[in-house]
Amino acid sequence: MKHLKRTAVFLMAAAMALTVTACGNSGSGGGSSDGKLTMQIWDTAQRDAMQSLADAYHEENPDVTIEVQVTSWDEYWTKLEAAAGSGNLPDIFWMHTNQILLYADNDMLADVTDLYDDDTYSHYSDISIANTMGSDGRMYGVPKDKDTICLVYNKEMFDQAGVSYPDETWTWDDLTEASQKIYDATGKYGYMAYCDEQLGYWNFVYQNGGYILNDDKTAAGFDQQATIDAMKFYIGLQQNDWCPDQTYFAETAPGDAFFSGQGAMYMEGDWTLMDKMKNYPEMQGKWDVAVLPKCPSPASGDGRATISNGLCYATSAKNQDNETVMNFLKWLGSEEAQKLQSSYGTAISAYEGCEDEWVAAFDQFDYKLNVQACIDEFDYAVQSVNDATRPVWKSKVNDEMLKIYGGQVSVDEGLKNCNDIINQAIAEG
Amino acid sequence: MKTGTMSRSRGVATGLTYFFLIVGSLLMIFPFVWMILTSLKSLAESVQVPPTIFPAKIVWSNFGEALTSLPFVNLYANTIIMVLVRVICAIVFSSMAGYAFAKLNFKGKNVLFGLVLVQMMMPSQIFVIPQYQMLAKVGLTESIFALIFPGLVSAFGTFFLRQAYMGIPNEIGEAARLDGCNQWQTFTKVMLPLTGNSVAALTIFTAVFAYADLMWPLVVNTDINLMTLSSGLATLKGQFMTNYPVLMAGSLFAMIPMLILYLIFQRQFIEGIALTGGK
Amino acid sequence: MRKALSPAARKEQHWAWLMVAPTIIGLLVLNYYPLIQTFILSFSKTKTFGASTFNGINNYIEMFQSPEFWKATWNTILFCILTVPVGIILALLVAILLNAKVKFKSGFRAIYFLPMVCAPAAIAMVWRWMFNGEYGIINTVLGTKISWLTDSKTAIVACAIVAIWSSIGYDAVLLLSGLQNISKSYYEAARIDGASRVKQFFSITLPMISPTLFVTLIMRLMSSLKVYDLIYMMIDQSNPVLPDVQSLMYLFYREAFVAGNKGYASAIVIWTIFLIGIVTVIQFIGQKKWVNYDV
Repeated sequence: MKHLKRTAVFLMAAAMALTVTACGNSGSGGGSSDGKLTMQIWDTAQRDAMQSLADAYHEENPDVTIEVQVTSWDEYWTKLEAAAGSGNLPDIFWMHTNQILLYADNDMLADVTDLYDDDTYSHYSDISIANTMGSDGRMYGVPKDKDTICLVYNKEMFDQAGVSYPDETWTWDDLTEASQKIYDATGKYGYMAYCDEQLGYWNFVYQNGGYILNDDKTAAGFDQQATIDAMKFYIGLQQNDWCPDQTYFAETAPGDAFFSGQGAMYMEGDWTLMDKMKNYPEMQGKWDVAVLPKCPSPASGDGRATISNGLCYATSAKNQDNETVMNFLKWLGSEEAQKLQSSYGTAISAYEGCEDEWVAAFDQFDYKLNVQACIDEFDYAVQSVNDATRPVWKSKVNDEMLKIYGGQVSVDEGLKNCNDIINQAIAEG
Repeated sequence: MKTGTMSRSRGVATGLTYFFLIVGSLLMIFPFVWMILTSLKSLAESVQVPPTIFPAKIVWSNFGEALTSLPFVNLYANTIIMVLVRVICAIVFSSMAGYAFAKLNFKGKNVLFGLVLVQMMMPSQIFVIPQYQMLAKVGLTESIFALIFPGLVSAFGTFFLRQAYMGIPNEIGEAARLDGCNQWQTFTKVMLPLTGNSVAALTIFTAVFAYADLMWPLVVNTDINLMTLSSGLATLKGQFMTNYPVLMAGSLFAMIPMLILYLIFQRQFIEGIALTGGK
Repeated sequence: MRKALSPAARKEQHWAWLMVAPTIIGLLVLNYYPLIQTFILSFSKTKTFGASTFNGINNYIEMFQSPEFWKATWNTILFCILTVPVGIILALLVAILLNAKVKFKSGFRAIYFLPMVCAPAAIAMVWRWMFNGEYGIINTVLGTKISWLTDSKTAIVACAIVAIWSSIGYDAVLLLSGLQNISKSYYEAARIDGASRVKQFFSITLPMISPTLFVTLIMRLMSSLKVYDLIYMMIDQSNPVLPDVQSLMYLFYREAFVAGNKGYASAIVIWTIFLIGIVTVIQFIGQKKWVNYDV
C-alpha cells in the first residue's frame, strides 16, 4: 500500500511538471509579438517549400522565427473553425477559395488590400486577386499560388494500344475513343472519371460553356442546358466498360489506381506532380501530362477551360496592426518569396513570372515531364467556383452527386436537386 | 467403464477447446499478418488481381516513406504520457468517488451519482469544441496537457469502481472503523487494496480508451509533433489515400513497440485479475 | 423537519463530499457545461463561429421530417443488433475457453487481446484493405466478388465484423475477471452431482457471471449507439453507400463539422442521448429478470 501511495505521489508530481512544461510551449495563440510566429498549412508535400520560406525570412530578420505546422485537410478546417470561434487563430495560415468568403465575411481575416505601398499586386493575375477577395471586394489574403488541372496518361498503355498520346488537339471524343482502344488492347481502364468537382465535372461544364454559379453568384447553373449536357456526358462515362464505377473509386483513389498500372488516364492538379515523381520512382518515364481535352461542340465558347484555383496566406483580423505578422505577410507576397516557393516544384506561385522556376524544378529528373502543359492552360483558366455559402452547399451537392452515381435518383432529378440546394443556400445567406 | 467415458468426453472437450482457440486465434491474428505482408509489397503488386499472398519482391521503401512522413518518436512519447496520466487520474479520482458512492452516506448522493451515469451516455464528440474553447481561453492548446485534459476525470471509472466497492461487504469497513481507522484510512488502507483486480481492469480500459481517442488530439493540437499515434496515423491516411503498402507500414510502426510493451505487461494485467479475483 | 445529523454522520458526509469533489467538478466542467451548451444550441439557428439565434423547436421539426435522420437512426440500431449479441457471446466463449486449463494459455490470451493495443486507425486501414472489392484478400479466400464496403447491403455488415473483432478482447477481459471470481467449489460440487458441462454452464457459470455480463452489455450497447470513429474510417464521405451506413454520430459529425450546421447537429445529439437513455433504462428494468446479485 505504501508503495502505491508513493507511486501516486510521484505520478502526480510528474503530471504537474507536465502541466508546467505545457504552459511553456503554448505560445501559438493569436497575435504573438515575441517574434515567434506559427504558420499553419494542410499539404505535407509543401512543407519543405514553406519551411524554406520560413528559414529565408528568418535569415533576413533574425528576430523572427516561423514554425510551420501541417494538419491534414479535413482536420485543418475543423481546427481552424474552432480556433476562429475562440479568437485563437494561428498567426499565418493558408486560406482556400472554398472557405475564404465565409471567413472574410465574418470579419475573421485581416484586410490586406493596402498592404503594399508599391505595385506588388499588379504582378498578380485578376483570378489570383479575385481568389483572395471577400464579398465586399476587399482582399483578405496575399495570393500564394495558382493552379490548373491537367490530364495524366500512361505512355506504355498508349503504346500497347497503338494510340497517339494526348495533345492540345484532343477533344472529348478522342478521350473516349482512346479509352476504348486501350481497354480493348490491354484490359486496363481508360480514362478514370470519378465524382469530383475541381478535378472532375467542373472542367467539363465550363468547357461546354455551362456554369455552376452565375457571374454575380446569385443563382446556380445546374438548370442550364450546357451544364446539364456536360454533366450527363461526364457522369455517363462510368457507363463504359473502360471506366470503373464510383464504388471502385470509393475504395481506390484514381491516382493510386493510375500509379499501380490499373488505368491509362485521370485528371490531376499540377501541385501534386512533383510528389508523384518522387513517390513513384519506378514509374518515371512511363507517364506524362497533357492539357485537358476540349469540348468538340460547346454550347458557347471555344471548348477550352480548366478550373484554376489559388490559395492565399491570411492572418486573423486581430493582427491587422501587428507589424511582425504583417511584415512577414508582405514578404510572402514579394517576388523573392514567390520565386523561392515555385522553385520547389509543388505549387506554382501566383506572382506572374515564377512559372519558369516551377518548370525548372522538374529538371532534377532524368525523364522530362511535359509540365509546361499546366502553364499553357492558364490562357483559358476559369476561376474555381465559390461563393459565401459554398461551405453550406458543398457537401450537400456532393451527397446528391453520389446519389446520381449510385442510381438512387435520375441524372435530371439529381441535377435539379443540386440546383435547388445551391439556390436555397444562397437564399438563406 | 464409467471413468473411461468420463475421460473420453473430457478428451473431446479439451480437443474442442483447442480447436476453437486455434481457429479463433487465426482469425484474430490474420489481419496483422496481412498488414505485414502488404507492407512489404510494391503498390503495383498490392493491387494485383488475384492478390499474391507473399510479396514477389520484398520492398522496404514503404517503411522508409512511412518513417519520414511521421515523427514516430514524438508520437510515442506523447501517447505514453497521455495514457499514463489519464490512467493515474482515472484510478485516483475514480477510486475516491467510487468508494464514497458505494460506502458513504451523504446528501445529494443519488443526484451526483446520476450525473456520473448520465455522462456515460453522452457521445464524446459533443465535448470537442467546448473543451477546445476552454483550453484556448487559457492558452493551453498545442500542448501535452491538452491531450490529457478530457481524461482528467472518468465517469466510467467511477461507475466501475463503485460496482467493485459495492461487492465488498460493509462489515469489513465497519471492522476497520472499530480498529480506530478514520474514514480516509479505512479507504486507503483497507478498502482500496481489495479492489486490485478492478483497478487493473480499469487501467486497461482507460488506457485503451485514451489510446483510441482520435478526434480530440487532431483538433486540439495542430503540430504533428504534439499528436498521438492514433491521430498521427489518421493524418498518414490523408497523405497516402489508398496507397496501402505505405499505410500498412505506418500502422506497423505505430503498433510494434506498443505490442512489445503489451506483451511484457499483459501478464501483470491479466494475471493480476486472475490472482486477486479468486476471493 | 430535517433530521439532525450525528457528528459522526456529519463527518462522514464531509469526507464523502471531499472524495467525490474532483470527479464531480471535473464532470461539470468537462462534460455538463458542453451538454448544456449543446442543449441550448439544439434550439438555435447557428451561424459559423459561434453566433446563434433562438429558433424554437425548428431543428427538431426539421430533424423528424428528414429521411436521412431516420435512416441514420435505423443504421445505428441495426449496428447494435449486428454487433452486441454476437460480440458478447463470442467474448464469453473466448473468456470461458481462456479460463479452461489449456497449454500456451498466455500465448492465446495475448493473441485474443491483440486488437486492444492497436490504434483504431490502423485496424480500420487493414480491414478496409482486406474488404476491398477488387484487390481484397477476403474475396479471394471466399472465392466471392462482393463489394463489401461499397454495396449498401454489405457495408454495415463489414463494419460490424470489424467492430466485433476489435471488441472481443476488451469484453473478454471483463468477462474473464467475472469468471475468475466464481469459486471452483461450485463446479466440484456439480461434478459430484454428475451435472454435464452444458448444465454446469447454465446453472453455475451463467448466473454467477450475470452481473459482469450485465455491465459488459450496458457498455457495449452504449458504445455501439455512439459509434462513429470506426464507420468514419471504414466508409469515406465519397463512398456512395454512406447514407446506408452512417450512424447518428456520423451524421452529427457531418452536420456539425462539414456542413457547419451546429444547431441541427445538436438536435441529433440530444436525440442520440435520449435513445441511449431509453435503452439503458430498459436494460436496468430487464436486468431484474436475469441478473443474479445474491452471490
